[in-house]
Amino acid sequence: MTSLLAPRLLATRNAFRRAPLRALVAAVLLAFFWGASFALVARVLGYFQTLGDFGPLLTQRLLALLFVTFFGVLLVSNTVTALTTFYLAGDVALLLAAPVPFRRLHHARFAETLVASSWMVVLFGLPVFLAYGVVYHAGPLFYLATTAVLATFVVIPAGLGVLVTTALVLVFPARRTRDALLVGTGLLVGGGALGVRWLAPERLAHASGLAGFAAFLGDFGATGSPYLPTTWAAEVLVPLLGARAGTPTFHLGLLASTAAMLFVVSATVVERVFLTAWSRAQAGRVRAGGAERPLTRWLEALARPLPRLPAVLLVKDVAVFLRDASQWSQLVLLSALVGIYVYNFTALPLGDDSPLAVAMQQLAAVSNLGLGAFVATAVAVRFVYPMISLEGRAWWLLRSAPVPLARLWWSKFWIGFVPLVVFAAGLVALTNGLLGVPAGLTAVFLLTLVPLVAAVVSLGLAFGAAYPRLDTQNAAQIATGFGAIVYMLTCLGLIALVVALEAWPVMRLFWSARFQVPLPARETALVVLGFAAALAVAVTTFALARRAGLRALARLPA
Amino acid sequence: MIRFAALRKQYGALVAVDDLTLDIEPGAVFGFLGRNGAGKTTTIRMMMGLLAPTAGTVLLGGHDIRHAPEAAKALTGYLPDHPFLYDKLTGAEFLRFAAGLHGLNRAEGGRRAADLLVRFGLARQAGELIETFSHGMKQRLALATALIHRPRILVLDEPMVALDPQGARELRALLTTLAADGVTIFLSTHSLAVAEELCTRIGIVDRGRLVALGTLTELRARAAATDGAASLEAVFLDILDAEAAGVASR
Repeated sequence: MTSLLAPRLLATRNAFRRAPLRALVAAVLLAFFWGASFALVARVLGYFQTLGDFGPLLTQRLLALLFVTFFGVLLVSNTVTALTTFYLAGDVALLLAAPVPFRRLHHARFAETLVASSWMVVLFGLPVFLAYGVVYHAGPLFYLATTAVLATFVVIPAGLGVLVTTALVLVFPARRTRDALLVGTGLLVGGGALGVRWLAPERLAHASGLAGFAAFLGDFGATGSPYLPTTWAAEVLVPLLGARAGTPTFHLGLLASTAAMLFVVSATVVERVFLTAWSRAQAGRVRAGGAERPLTRWLEALARPLPRLPAVLLVKDVAVFLRDASQWSQLVLLSALVGIYVYNFTALPLGDDSPLAVAMQQLAAVSNLGLGAFVATAVAVRFVYPMISLEGRAWWLLRSAPVPLARLWWSKFWIGFVPLVVFAAGLVALTNGLLGVPAGLTAVFLLTLVPLVAAVVSLGLAFGAAYPRLDTQNAAQIATGFGAIVYMLTCLGLIALVVALEAWPVMRLFWSARFQVPLPARETALVVLGFAAALAVAVTTFALARRAGLRALARLPA
Repeated sequence: MIRFAALRKQYGALVAVDDLTLDIEPGAVFGFLGRNGAGKTTTIRMMMGLLAPTAGTVLLGGHDIRHAPEAAKALTGYLPDHPFLYDKLTGAEFLRFAAGLHGLNRAEGGRRAADLLVRFGLARQAGELIETFSHGMKQRLALATALIHRPRILVLDEPMVALDPQGARELRALLTTLAADGVTIFLSTHSLAVAEELCTRIGIVDRGRLVALGTLTELRARAAATDGAASLEAVFLDILDAEAAGVASR
């Protein structure tokens, strides 16, 4: 099996060796995340300890809730990943042609699916379990047991995921199954995010909120069903924390035997039906005849007023985008995030017209400019940054056509910029309306947003060309690469600078509009200067990024 | 129609293309042969403006690919060795997209795409996504793309790969017709039988250098220890062996 996993292991090792800086940046970000997670969970658990006899019960239920969440995420993640690793990956054909028994093939792909689906959950879970151990002064046995629980727990959803995927592939075409799973996952995660927001987690910042959360946990099942692995996992760890007595060995045995049984069942099923399932997965959904698709006709009609080159690029980009299920799942997730963003403004405790409330509104308005631009950046990371990578290895066609690189750049820019600036402006106008920001000031915000979003898009094209991912057609995967992180951080720096330059002018304008008092001439001059400086920063960034982007595009392998 | 002048590409110490100088007349079918890694694809990529040369120039129809790339590319159709296409477009959409890139208007692009889909036997699959195409169908679509704007120069890097015998025969007939219409064809291939059948002139490249150039008859005459009826394969191997022996003795 090691030999079957060797290509993936060696590729990972080589990636780290070739780019140690990336590994360092990733490690720093991870350490930051771990620290924050640890602090938050330690605070919640610390509070539970002050609740006397009620504390251990809550500890147990929070742990059960955590395992239920992990299990849900792992089940979906393993099902989607198994579809790729078992039935859609390009190297399966190579392995099938080799004298490799199906059982060995299953073991290698199972391990690959499990690691690819579980590493992030385990990584995110570690600071939580560490916080449990530290707060409850647990002994070394707790940490050993946690390792054993996680090692066996992750196998169960992996086994179920492989079985579900195999069943789906036997019934439906693989590509359709993947598309449905991708969009379904997006809906699930988006719905989950909205649900969490609905629970108003900001209440946890107050002692009364923590009490409310404790009450919620108190209502969350008793200990969970005794037949669920999530309950068994919690039942192993809770006694070792000293929260109450229990039978950790028995429950660990249940976890381990269930994991082993599912692994064996998965291997047996895959061994029997793999060739049939894989053969079915090769057949795409083929339409009868050579008829034109309606989408193309509509897009071509829409693009008719545009000049020829931008029109053909727009039709191509939009058609490819709309037919890519991974983009749809991203859209669903982003819609949920935008929903949360807008909801947050309706939930802000802004109060009345008191000086404090007005100051709060001023602060919220200034923040809104930065946050609106930040949301636009989050959208750009997912849709603008991957644009160049998605051209992928078909870049030869564009480069061998008689089209100057600069015109290609401008086409890509407009395709990214127009929807993004409309989106960002709409978002800021809507949330400013909710904040009661005067219309004149909102107009100033929108004028600031235009060059800022242009700079964000220009940076997206530059970073996208400088860090292309030509090995994947999955936009979500491209948007999580090293270049995407650096792009995001650069945009955050730019937004922070622009907001810092505009903070004082916006506050003065807000004050002036609110109390109908004209600004003195000196202040007016300073306000204009502030906006001019912000504009200069955005325009300069746009121009520099455009130049860097064109240079990177010229170097892009075709 | 095609002129290479002292073309050179160097990657550090490795010289991939070494001082290539060559003129190809209009209507010629030029065969560009060589072992794997000899520098054929690198030459073609510089020729199409996909790779900047270290030194030298390439002129296509009199236009320098570095200084007037749009004019040079407008004359030229290109089929790369691995023609990756957009999986989520249909065959017809892809061809119309390529037509748009080459400046054909909508009506002309649509007509031309429909003609080529019929010509390459893809009309029935015109509305299907490319991701459902077989390797051979993708190759035929890429060939159709190279012809969408009626180029005067056709640059083909291993065009026979993935084609079935019928497809390969149809392509050979097509290239003969195009050459008769005055299209200049630059053909890189490993298929010596194809080169022997189609090419009016042949260049053999080895370790980045052009080591032999001429008609098949001239190459036969040049190759040592071959009789007059030797195949191109025998001539090719003879010339490369002689070249290898020369390098070893140096």
